[in-house]
Amino acid sequence: MTSGPLPRRLGTVVAGGRGRAFLPVVGAAAVILVIPQIWFAGSEYTTGLAVQALEFAAYAVGFNLIFGSTNQLFLCVGALAGLGGYATGILSDHASLPIWVGIAVGTAVAAGVGGLLSWIAVRRSLGVIFTGIVTLAFSLGFQDLLLGQEHLTGGSTGQVVNGAAVSLADTRLGGYYLFAAVVIAFLVVFRVLQISHVGWAFRALRDDETAAELAGVNVARYRIYAALVGSAMIGLTGALYAYSDGFISPPVFAFDQIDVKVLVLVAFGGLGTLLGPLIGAVVFAFVDNALVNSGQVRELIYGAIVVVIFLSFRGGFVPAVVNLAGGLARQRPAQGE
Amino acid sequence: MKAVILDGIVLGLGFGLLGVGMTLVYGLGGVLNLAYGEVAVLAAIVVAQAMAGGIPTALAAVIGVLAAASTGLLLDLTLMRPVYRQSGGNKVLLGLLLTLGVAFVIEGVLTWRDPLGALSINVAGKPISILGVPLAVGSVWASVIALAAAAALLVFFGATIFGRAVRSVIQDELGARLVGISPALVRAVIFALSGGLAGLVAVTQSMTAPLTVNAGFNLTVTALIVSVVGGLGSVAGAFLAGVLLGIVDSVSAYYIGRYITSIVLLGAAVLTILVWPRGLLGGGQG
Repeated sequence: MTSGPLPRRLGTVVAGGRGRAFLPVVGAAAVILVIPQIWFAGSEYTTGLAVQALEFAAYAVGFNLIFGSTNQLFLCVGALAGLGGYATGILSDHASLPIWVGIAVGTAVAAGVGGLLSWIAVRRSLGVIFTGIVTLAFSLGFQDLLLGQEHLTGGSTGQVVNGAAVSLADTRLGGYYLFAAVVIAFLVVFRVLQISHVGWAFRALRDDETAAELAGVNVARYRIYAALVGSAMIGLTGALYAYSDGFISPPVFAFDQIDVKVLVLVAFGGLGTLLGPLIGAVVFAFVDNALVNSGQVRELIYGAIVVVIFLSFRGGFVPAVVNLAGGLARQRPAQGE
Repeated sequence: MKAVILDGIVLGLGFGLLGVGMTLVYGLGGVLNLAYGEVAVLAAIVVAQAMAGGIPTALAAVIGVLAAASTGLLLDLTLMRPVYRQSGGNKVLLGLLLTLGVAFVIEGVLTWRDPLGALSINVAGKPISILGVPLAVGSVWASVIALAAAAALLVFFGATIFGRAVRSVIQDELGARLVGISPALVRAVIFALSGGLAGLVAVTQSMTAPLTVNAGFNLTVTALIVSVVGGLGSVAGAFLAGVLLGIVDSVSAYYIGRYITSIVLLGAAVLTILVWPRGLLGGGQG
């Protein structure tokens, strides 16, 4: 999938043009930071949608690092986010610790659990099937745990997060910039990994696992790295959601609330690409808003989108369109000759 | 304690029946059907609607099983075709993603049309005493159906020509084709059989407790755990693992608490993957 632009990127890196690799991140950051001023800063509703889009973009970057880069189908994004969110809520509520301790612990716990799940699944190089099974079972177990440990989690009614930044939830724009900073930081991390030796290992093991192993890439180790970093991103986002929203409950981190959407938007934006999750999240925010009153039909439509995209555009919808446009642009001069 | 273990066996026979449909499709097509639980729920809703429409319970159950079997067949004939053309990791991944999408679609349709739908089949009669432990008639019926299904499947795969053809495809698809067996036909039949088993699960589960419209995710995950522990592709393994996990589930629910059981089951699956990667009775399939 990345074989096309790869040699040129390698060239820039070798030639010392590392800075150029970050141009897309800088561009995206500029757009994210400027757009509220020229568009929706006045509307609390639209800002709320934008915050949600950024939140999902952050989840999606983490998921994309795990699944898009190393082919580990983590079907527990919601549960990992919930680990971050609930660690924040429980530590600030029951242990009366400062909120940032909760956020840090939540991120670390999510990273640890994600790494552990990855370790279980890759230990015997059992591959994608066991990753899917173990993570899906973990999603279910986590939801049951939330419901069961009522004295800690508040059960199905959820809990209010002490020390949450109420001001962020109130003005909305503060929450927007918080998640904007998170997404930009994640994109920088993603890019750094992509152009470092880790990214080369990721591409090698994704394209052909056996060949990568034979070439000396420790496939299992790089998979676990990806799971650790990606899960930390997801856990941090979940913790910051608890921090900015101030209320968490099991449905907030449910499989059909988070995993389904993240899968749809990553599939749409392009698996394994830098900006795919962000583009997917923005487009998805519009789609989701248009479907807001259609209730359960939404899930039906998301399912259909997943099926159609994976049947027709394996690399993602946006990359397919970009390739098509690029192909047409190249063809035209050729015809003129 | 005896009652807890007996409860676990009853539960476990249900688990086994649930796992066997999942494990068969994997053994044959290399596809994990993540829509499996939703197919069972679909069958449950069909049965519930048919019963509400005045159709006798037994006939309604047959209609439900047939509906589930047709859904399985339809999946095989349409969406699974491109999956079979892939190989290795791509095949597994595409299969997982497509069936996950299908699961969302079925769940979306069902919760949209019938958000409060549930199937509950009441089997009248006094509790039957087994080994001195009184068991509800519904549980006994459910266990008998599961045992009968297990026996029928073992006979089918062990003694009939078609069953042997299926096993030959599981072992070596190319070899099977060389001796004149059509893998495509075998796959279609097994997908339909798997769907029918999902429908049967819906019927038996609703004899002990109501099966609600949002139970699909739970059913799918349980089926996955059972088939992993039993060994992907093994019929006897699925039932053995089902009964063992049923006892583990029942004992941990009794001594620790209901909500912890899915974590315990997850732990059992993880332990199995680490100790016996191929499952208890897993064969040569990886």
